[in-house]
Amino acid sequence: MTTLIQQLLEEQQDLTAVDRFSQLHAAGDLPAQQKYYSRLLPASPPAAGQQYAFNVDLDKCSGCKACVTACHNLNGLDENEAWRDVGLLIGGTPELPIMQHVTTACHHCVDPACACACPVDAYEKNPVTGIVKHLDDQCFGCQYCTLACPYDVPKYNADKGIVRKCDMCSDRLADGEAPACVQACPHEAIAIQVVDVARSVAEVPGRPLVPSSPSSDFTVPTTTYSGGPPLSADLTAADLSHLSPQHAHWPLIIMLILTQLSVGMFAVGLLVGLTPSDDAPQMPAMATAAALVQGSLPAGGSGFTNPLSTAVSLSPAAVHSAVALLLGLLALGSSTCHLGRPQYAFRAIIGLKHSWLSREIVVFGAFSGAAVTYTGLTWLDIAPPWLVTASGVATVITGLAGVACSVMIYVFTRRQFWNLSSTSARFLLTCPVLGVAGSWLTLTTFAAIAQHEDTRALATTCGPWFATTLIIATLLKAFSEFRIFRHLQEPEPTQLKRSALLMTTLLRPVTMLRFTSGLAGGILLPIMAVLAPATAPVQVMLFSLLFVSCFAGESAERFLFFTAVSPDRMPGGLQS
Amino acid sequence: MILSSLLHQKEGRLTHELLLEPGGFGLGRVPLRVRPEATTAMVCGYCSTGCSLNVHLKNGEAVNLTPKTESPVNLGMACPKGWEALSVLDAADRATTPLLRHADGQLRPTSWETALDEFTMRFKAIQKQHGKHSVAFLGTGQLPNEELAFLGALSKFGMGLRHGDGNTRQCMATAVVAYKQAFGFDAPPYTYQDFEESDVIVLVGSNICIAHPIMWERVMRNPHAPEIVVVDPRTTETAMQATQHLAIAPKSDQTLLYGIANLLIQNGWIDHDYITRHTRDFHDFSDFVRQFPVERVVAESGIPAEDLHRLVDTIHQGKRVSFWWTMGVNQSHQGVRTAQAIINLALMTGNMGRPGTGANSITGQCNAMGSRLYGNTTSLLGGHDFTNADHRQKIADALNISAAQIPDQNSWAYHEIIEGIQRDQIKGLWVVCTNPAHSWINQGQCREILERLDFLVVQDMYHSTDTARMADLVLPAAGWGEKEGTFISSERRINVIKKVRRAPGEALSDFNIFRLIAQRWGCGRMFREWTSPEAVFQILKRCSAGQPCDIAGIDDYRMIDEADGIQWPLVSGPAAPERRLFEDGRYFHADGRARFLFEVPRPLTEPATHDYPFLLLTGRGTAAQWHTQTRTQNSAVLRKLYPQQVFVEVNPDDAANLGISDHETVRILSRRGAIRARAVVTNAIRRGQVFIPMHYVETNLLTDAVFDPYSGQPSYKSCAVRIARINKCCPGC
Repeated sequence: MTTLIQQLLEEQQDLTAVDRFSQLHAAGDLPAQQKYYSRLLPASPPAAGQQYAFNVDLDKCSGCKACVTACHNLNGLDENEAWRDVGLLIGGTPELPIMQHVTTACHHCVDPACACACPVDAYEKNPVTGIVKHLDDQCFGCQYCTLACPYDVPKYNADKGIVRKCDMCSDRLADGEAPACVQACPHEAIAIQVVDVARSVAEVPGRPLVPSSPSSDFTVPTTTYSGGPPLSADLTAADLSHLSPQHAHWPLIIMLILTQLSVGMFAVGLLVGLTPSDDAPQMPAMATAAALVQGSLPAGGSGFTNPLSTAVSLSPAAVHSAVALLLGLLALGSSTCHLGRPQYAFRAIIGLKHSWLSREIVVFGAFSGAAVTYTGLTWLDIAPPWLVTASGVATVITGLAGVACSVMIYVFTRRQFWNLSSTSARFLLTCPVLGVAGSWLTLTTFAAIAQHEDTRALATTCGPWFATTLIIATLLKAFSEFRIFRHLQEPEPTQLKRSALLMTTLLRPVTMLRFTSGLAGGILLPIMAVLAPATAPVQVMLFSLLFVSCFAGESAERFLFFTAVSPDRMPGGLQS
Repeated sequence: MILSSLLHQKEGRLTHELLLEPGGFGLGRVPLRVRPEATTAMVCGYCSTGCSLNVHLKNGEAVNLTPKTESPVNLGMACPKGWEALSVLDAADRATTPLLRHADGQLRPTSWETALDEFTMRFKAIQKQHGKHSVAFLGTGQLPNEELAFLGALSKFGMGLRHGDGNTRQCMATAVVAYKQAFGFDAPPYTYQDFEESDVIVLVGSNICIAHPIMWERVMRNPHAPEIVVVDPRTTETAMQATQHLAIAPKSDQTLLYGIANLLIQNGWIDHDYITRHTRDFHDFSDFVRQFPVERVVAESGIPAEDLHRLVDTIHQGKRVSFWWTMGVNQSHQGVRTAQAIINLALMTGNMGRPGTGANSITGQCNAMGSRLYGNTTSLLGGHDFTNADHRQKIADALNISAAQIPDQNSWAYHEIIEGIQRDQIKGLWVVCTNPAHSWINQGQCREILERLDFLVVQDMYHSTDTARMADLVLPAAGWGEKEGTFISSERRINVIKKVRRAPGEALSDFNIFRLIAQRWGCGRMFREWTSPEAVFQILKRCSAGQPCDIAGIDDYRMIDEADGIQWPLVSGPAAPERRLFEDGRYFHADGRARFLFEVPRPLTEPATHDYPFLLLTGRGTAAQWHTQTRTQNSAVLRKLYPQQVFVEVNPDDAANLGISDHETVRILSRRGAIRARAVVTNAIRRGQVFIPMHYVETNLLTDAVFDPYSGQPSYKSCAVRIARINKCCPGC
């Protein structure tokens, strides 16, 4: 028995097909499938003013989805990767129900948003074929294109740290072979055609590719859908009611919040006139740092006289700017965590002409330079006050420019939830909210630890101003964000209604946190802080709580910014 | 230069990963990483279409595949399951060693020696205590002919079992009985070319766009602008493509078909010559269908009279009318007579035996027909009869065994075996390559019944199937692509599967498992000629000699391979690539005539009531899902193509009445069980009906165990259910 088992186990591992059959299949080099797909390819390549495009005959698409698996297998993609998707439109009338499958891939747009958004020029639109090709080795994995493309085409491959996408099998096309999906559709629903670019542009206004899909006027997609139910038919995407929170992008949340906090603190520092010339307790920086860590300072606070320390003064301005700088640098560090291949971050400079992300990276680079200079000057006390102030102003200006770039990154995507007014309200108002909260906490803590009366006085004097600013900014922000809930009344599941629904259902706990924590830190606690004088330790605790509340509120706001966005998309399949 | 490529790098390692290079072998460009050194074609192992897949080999092992262009079946195309056929072989839940349930209730790996000892000793002990017939087996339509024959012969001739059936009972039994009674043999008459040659294609209970996408390919290539008629309560993908969709009330198809026959006769639109020369009992049928005037058909089916007249006119006008049916007919409490009502239409209009005609059953599984012919379950090997002494002697001679070793009684059908377990008459069960704990009707009850067994052996590729998880012993099987054999497709085409992958761990082909069991059981001598699948193929030729399915003309696997599959029968000579049956009008009954068979339609077994006001339809969900998903769920790409959780289609009016919104999770209750599912609100389903795909394990908790009286096939597609919103304040209710 054992011998037979052993024999059969060995026999099972012995592959026989090659020896027994393969020589029968040694056919020629020409693609056999050509006899079917040749009629699905254009007779001649594009002339000037033309490009290649997909044509989908909806009457022939039966929803088998062979195109998706063929794309996966014929292109050697990773385990769950495919560059074609098949969605479903449902609707019609009780008498004439409609169920229309829609196969979709890259639309090789006339004006591709992916290419415009890419900070490293990892997209090339071929001047002859019009094919939008992604340069995998150039990509550094920022994933901005995945947000910019309204059709959800570029897909991030986390294992490789880059995005990949459909290139219409350009190598195949160049050889007269059909793309994988065209070869594989049993019903010949997908074809390659040559289109006039001017015509694609002319057909655009107000017309989506298929019902439910994004408006074509953003990128001018070249795919044409022929046949099928008319666009006017009452059709909706099968996944329209399927609300699913989008990716949170935590490194971006942290980066945005902290850059805005940092810029805000620098601005507050300048506005309250924090300069190194303040009558600061002079003490060696290292000892103070150690003391700060230990939470106590020797009596008198300024009892040290060390010859080395004469040029290094630890003023409230120095501490304040150091905190702002540290948070700013942390933000920029965090942003690199979002990159699939951070070692190529330097490439971001080449997209400056067109990419808001590129601009953001460069401008925040300048901001960090200015901030380091300003902070250094506040520490070293070697520069004239005007120079310090000037570097402070430069810091704030570059910082605000950076925040503006951040705003534009999202506005560019034309997602309604990320429109100009609401995104700027969010990003710009985070500067005063967290700038004030952070400054207030820093000054109070410094005063308490250093037992520095002038700083305490400054904090107290500025108190009402701080509180007013914080409350106004918080209210403006909350008002701006709260307006989303108006859309709950809309009959149709518009983009903004879907966002509002997400915020009130699946994301409800975060929404609650955003408003309770934000309002507590931005309204309740500042009023308490101004109205109820307290001892130094209590103040430190109070302002810590205020800061944490504001920070939690803003983080929740930013989390919702990313997760509750619900752009129009190509129709997806049934979801459950 | 270096600096500029550092700043803007157009090529490199990542670009290389996706490089396409000419693959040779007629393939066009393929991924460089998996460029083949050789290719070989084999038939797909999912559905009965029988697509030929060109497997790309590197170091003798499959690395990729593409559908075979030259195949007369699929013309270079495949559905998603076919494209992904290799990837499901690498799954983490493959069974790699035998697993034995220990006293603590855990399944643990064990050796083949122990597994075979347990198998033999436990089953023999049960047989000793409860009688030889107290052990039964449940087989499949997914194994090749040679393995099915081995299973049937080993169990019935070697181990002394009488009862064994296959999961083909769940899909094809109705068509088998319908054909046997009407034509004298289980003989689907068509070839796929008929899809391209018809000018009228009538599809009854068949969503072939989803269930058989490559057959739909052939319809789409029909150059005659055919009229496409779909009879189906739902607006399926296929109904969307139809020129006439008759959305009949569930299970009113038999009445509709009789009504059509009546109108054809009334109008004189029948082929008297064909009826006279080639059929029997037409006059009785003609009298019978007078009971089905238009008014009755309209009332019972819900189809407007003008639609009925239009269809009758279409059939009359058609020069080459083909009728096709699938599970909508087969899975019914009156499926056999409904299928025969379709056959009657083809016979009376003379739409038989000519290109583009036929009464054509579209089979389900890749080797459903093989399981019918060679499974040794309902019929004795080669389509013979267990109760016929001559047949027993013929098979005994073909196998070189004594006729006394062949049971002289028929096996119980699947549902009788399940009931036998319930009555404690069956105490041991051997389940091979099927998943009753998911797929059998009224699943809750089925699982309770399976729990009663003293010993349950499951032989499967995956240790994770619902049934394997209940087993006392799991035997790890090699799958499609890891072994050899032959399948028979819907159009009677025999094609080969080949060994292009190494089975994981100690998994063995089912064929080799049967060899081991025969040896260990002590009946090895009986199977000394059964050394390889191809050797058994020669035995099967002897078993089919003189039958309608005679394949004496097929020399060996190589001949099948060179011909891209060969349709039965082939007694001698070369095989034409596409052949249909009954071209001479001679049927397989002794008198050569086909029969008109009919019966008064039976009422719905569980009509909608006040408490359970909806009829539940079940069926295939997407082309990317296969049956209980033990294989298809193991492909990450296929998983992208269908909803992961169960859903229920509800009509907008019903949804509005119940206050259900699209995508809301609702509760569906039948008299047997309750499940939760996401509501998909769509006009595709009519008022008073709901639809749930069969691939989700929950679905059969609702279905009602009723069967066609002639075929024993379960009626999966109509039972009464209720829909309820989930009360948010008390999630339990």
